[in-house]
Amino acid sequence: MFAAVDTKHQDLLIQNLENILNKIKQNKTPLINESFQQFLNTKNGYLVSSLVSEFLEFFSLGFTLAVFQPGTGTQVHGPDRGNLAQDLGIVENENTRDGPLLLEVMKRCQNSNSREDGSSDSSLPVLHNLVTELPLLEAKTSLSNEAILRYSRQLVLPELGVKGQLNLSKSSVLIVGCGGLGCPLAQYLAAAGIGRLGLLDYDVVEINNLHRQVLHGENRQGIPKSLSAATALKQLNSGVEYICYNLILTPKIALELIQQYDIIADCSDNVPTRYLVNDACVLTGKPLVSASALRMEGQLTVYNYHGSPCYRCLFPVPPPAETVTNCSDGGVLGVVPGIMGCLQALEVLKIASGLGTSFGQFMLMFDALEGRFRNIRLRPKNQNCAVCGANPTIRVLQDYEAFCGSSASDKCRTLHLLSKEERISAQEYKKILDEQVPHLLVDVRPPVEVDICHLPHSIYITLDKLERKNLDCLNHLNRKLLEGKQITDEEMSFPVYVICKLGNDSQKAVKILQELSGKELGVLLAKDITGGLMAWSNKVDPTFPQY
Amino acid sequence: MSCEVLVLYFAKSAELADVRSEHISVAQRTTSEQLWEEIVSRHPRLAALRNHVLLAVRQEYIAIGDQLLLLQPGDEVAIIPPISGG
Repeated sequence: MFAAVDTKHQDLLIQNLENILNKIKQNKTPLINESFQQFLNTKNGYLVSSLVSEFLEFFSLGFTLAVFQPGTGTQVHGPDRGNLAQDLGIVENENTRDGPLLLEVMKRCQNSNSREDGSSDSSLPVLHNLVTELPLLEAKTSLSNEAILRYSRQLVLPELGVKGQLNLSKSSVLIVGCGGLGCPLAQYLAAAGIGRLGLLDYDVVEINNLHRQVLHGENRQGIPKSLSAATALKQLNSGVEYICYNLILTPKIALELIQQYDIIADCSDNVPTRYLVNDACVLTGKPLVSASALRMEGQLTVYNYHGSPCYRCLFPVPPPAETVTNCSDGGVLGVVPGIMGCLQALEVLKIASGLGTSFGQFMLMFDALEGRFRNIRLRPKNQNCAVCGANPTIRVLQDYEAFCGSSASDKCRTLHLLSKEERISAQEYKKILDEQVPHLLVDVRPPVEVDICHLPHSIYITLDKLERKNLDCLNHLNRKLLEGKQITDEEMSFPVYVICKLGNDSQKAVKILQELSGKELGVLLAKDITGGLMAWSNKVDPTFPQY
Repeated sequence: MSCEVLVLYFAKSAELADVRSEHISVAQRTTSEQLWEEIVSRHPRLAALRNHVLLAVRQEYIAIGDQLLLLQPGDEVAIIPPISGG
């Protein structure tokens, strides 16, 4: 045990142990205190003490554990190393066997730190939960050798040159929304050497963002998007200043925030924010590079720049909330916002470098399905515009959620069209199935969603077809009703349960079915399933997919 | 005199009209209002989008109103609702 130990060392050790023995004999302080005991009773406590035991045993010092073994129940010889490694998810190989398991744990921490951060500079981007006054961006008069090398491929462009590059380095850009548009936009702006990037988003990274929001990553799920984006951007270019705002853009903060930046990029995902950003840009005199994308289409315009119209000049009145489709409802192919975000970056860079924009009085429309770009020549500024016209009525920011009748997020809103009696829960529906109560289950989602997942006994009639009272569909439903009524009392209102993804469309469908009952359709009693198939997945069948 | 123009429906208008493009016959001399009404008469559900779309003729913004248009056969008419996704 003491293979290479000298006598002096041994004497010292024995002296130490004697001291400890004396303390134990005097028993003034309990050796095993309560918090230690509690800690050991937890899973993590057990793992930590096992790691310490393994560490000591690895270097043949296991005997030192004898001090706290009595009374704690901890084994002098902890669990065997194989089990412990498995518990910690460490796969052993030739390299790991050369050291204690604690070393592997430490290596994993170091790896994850470098993944998170990437740059040699270990400081993480700072997350702002409120708007603070930023120091002025320093205007550089010349490029460093490092900058010349880094930006050489764009410096040699006559259109940009040193002057353009210096202009970029003293420009600040606020990106409203770090999603499908904001990610590629921020990436190209950072790469090109913009001076300061404000990154604003209220949301956290979710797995269903990653197909289009390409700055984020699997290991940053649950992290604020602004912080996740800055973390990735720092790896790309640590010379850019990143300001992360983990907040919703509200009328209260919009002016204070926007006036601190030179160019504003609207990468948001909802109508109220688009009007808010527009008005704030008009009131502060900032150019607004605005892009949007949905399904297989994209749009891009530069508003409020050198006499160009503003968003309100083109769209004075917001569309009715029910005619607005968001990405979670309508879907979007990730590369489409990717392309629009890149075009947005191009226009920001042209404005920041001094080249000016090509889309001041044009709307670029991208039709991804046809592979066509169209430039629509826009109207000039509307002299009657409520915010940028000759006699503006909007001089302070408004309540944009009220103005648009929708919330400043792209989350699905929850409708309340039906009474409690007209709805059943997923669990109640499960009971109806288990008890084999005769009924019809109508799934009103579009076919593309039915293909993703469905309950096997459903019949499929889209809400759209119900709204149009499509004859084929009504006949189909009537046939199913007749079949059902053959096994029940024909006089009875036959129970029809309606399901969709989240329980909004199903309520609309129940309203329609109630109208049709006893007229175009046989007598039926329609109810919907609250929370739809996602509630079914959450509350009844965890193996049912979420989308 | 009527002529055939190509109407392109984008975003929500394509969904409501249930078609992405179609040829329609319209009066060669018409107002933008009449042109819009002609399109809505074919697809009544588009009425909900009035005041919320860009109407473009030959890739140029046209205010929906009494502006007189002189259409040529094959002209492209586009119905462009704003999209807000990102």
